[in-house]
This record gives sequence, structure tokens and C-alpha cells, in this order.
Amino acid sequence: MPEYITIEFPSRHKYLNMIDIVCGEIAEDMGLKLEIANEIAISVIEACTNALEHGNKSSPEKNIRMVIKRDPDKISIEVYDWGKGFDYKEYLQHIPDPSDIQKVRGRGIFIMKEMMDDISFELVKDRGMKVTLEKNLIKS
Amino acid sequence: MKYRTREKGGVAIIELSGKLMGGEDSSIFRGLIYDLLEKKIKNVVVDLGGLSWINSAGMGILISGYTTMRKHQGDLKLLNVSNKIKSLLYVTKLNLIFESFDNEKEAVLSYSRN
Repeated sequence: MPEYITIEFPSRHKYLNMIDIVCGEIAEDMGLKLEIANEIAISVIEACTNALEHGNKSSPEKNIRMVIKRDPDKISIEVYDWGKGFDYKEYLQHIPDPSDIQKVRGRGIFIMKEMMDDISFELVKDRGMKVTLEKNLIKS
Repeated sequence: MKYRTREKGGVAIIELSGKLMGGEDSSIFRGLIYDLLEKKIKNVVVDLGGLSWINSAGMGILISGYTTMRKHQGDLKLLNVSNKIKSLLYVTKLNLIFESFDNEKEAVLSYSRN
């Protein structure tokens, strides 16, 4: 039976630290290797940063909802915002080179793709964007 | 993000602590960089040892500082990069851009070798 953990928080940068702590606690509870735990935490923070800045346009009255699903062999995290979404199919085909120093921003999705086993986007009607991150687990 | 700046051998050392994640951190760090340029200091070492974490927006802040210093014939190097931050630098290949050190003395001396 998978376990679900749901967290909802206002679009303020200060709450991203809470997400890091939650991810760390869950990873420790699941006995994950530090490297795997870091990859999950980094990716979830990137997804939440995108939801905060791009989806919710940093409006504190708009919440970000995060649903963590714990399975014995997999962890998946859904991050919801209230934005209009973006053309992710187009974006995924032309992800900018992350080492291009002319670009100050735009590395978040690349990082998530590299660090997680699967990433998907869905525009949810009457809601906003949903990003789903999945990581297959290797126990330490 | 919290910070402390000091100077050693003509090199500015910016010690960062807390979280580096965009938002107001970006304008604060930009202000620090331009303050140094006004003082004619172009060589910078950013000590990341006190950072608990950084996201891609925070990396953008460092990139912005790096490109600004390079445009002024200076440089920005990193000190005390944690494994978590190293993994971000490697995955984005920015480890090839930023010179990084584990020792402050070596980081400062590296500028006299240039």
C-alpha cells in the first residue's frame, strides 16, 4: 500500500526550506542513499521554485500543493500550481544548454530530468500545472 | 541568504550562509558585486561553506556575478562547495566554468598565479 503525504504552502521562497527538510526526513525514513536523497530534494525544490515563480507568479495568496507518494520501490512527487502552464512539449524538445553562462535562468527542468527517472507535465483544468517527478529507489 | 564580506590580498571573499535561491537574494548579491567593482576589486572568492542549499535560481546568481566580473577582467571562484552543490554543478556542467577550491589560501593565491 502506498503512503501519501500532502503539503500545501503559500508561494513564498522561505517555505522552500521546509520542502528540503521534509524531503530529507522522508528519504532518511526510507533508508535512501544520501546521493539519491539529494537528487530528490534538489529536483523537488526546482519543481516548487518553478511553481512559485512561473506558475503562481510569486503571489503568496496562491498556494503550491505537493503530494508525495511513497511506494516500496518508487517515490513520486506531484507539484501543483495555479498558473496557465507552458508549452512543455516544445520546451522539452529544445532544452537550453545548462552550461551556457549567457543564460542566468532556465536550468530547473534540465536538472529535474537529469536527477529523476521520469518527469511529466500536465495542465489540469480549472487548476494549473501539475509536474510529476518519479524516482526508482535503490536502498542503501 | 546571509553574507559577510572581507578582503585578503586584494581578493574579496564573500561568505554566504543560509539558502541561495533567487528572489531578493539576486539583487543583494548583485549589489555586493557592484560595490566591489566600485572599490576596484575584480577578483572574488565566494565561500559556499555556510549554505544549506542552493537551487538553479541561486546558481543563476553566481553565474551573473561570474559574468560581471569576467566582463571587468576579473573572476569569481568558489570555495567550500558541498557535495549537494557539487552535484548541481556537475549535472549542469557548470563545474567546467567555475574554478573551485577547498582551501581559502589556495583560492586567494590562485589569483596571483593568473
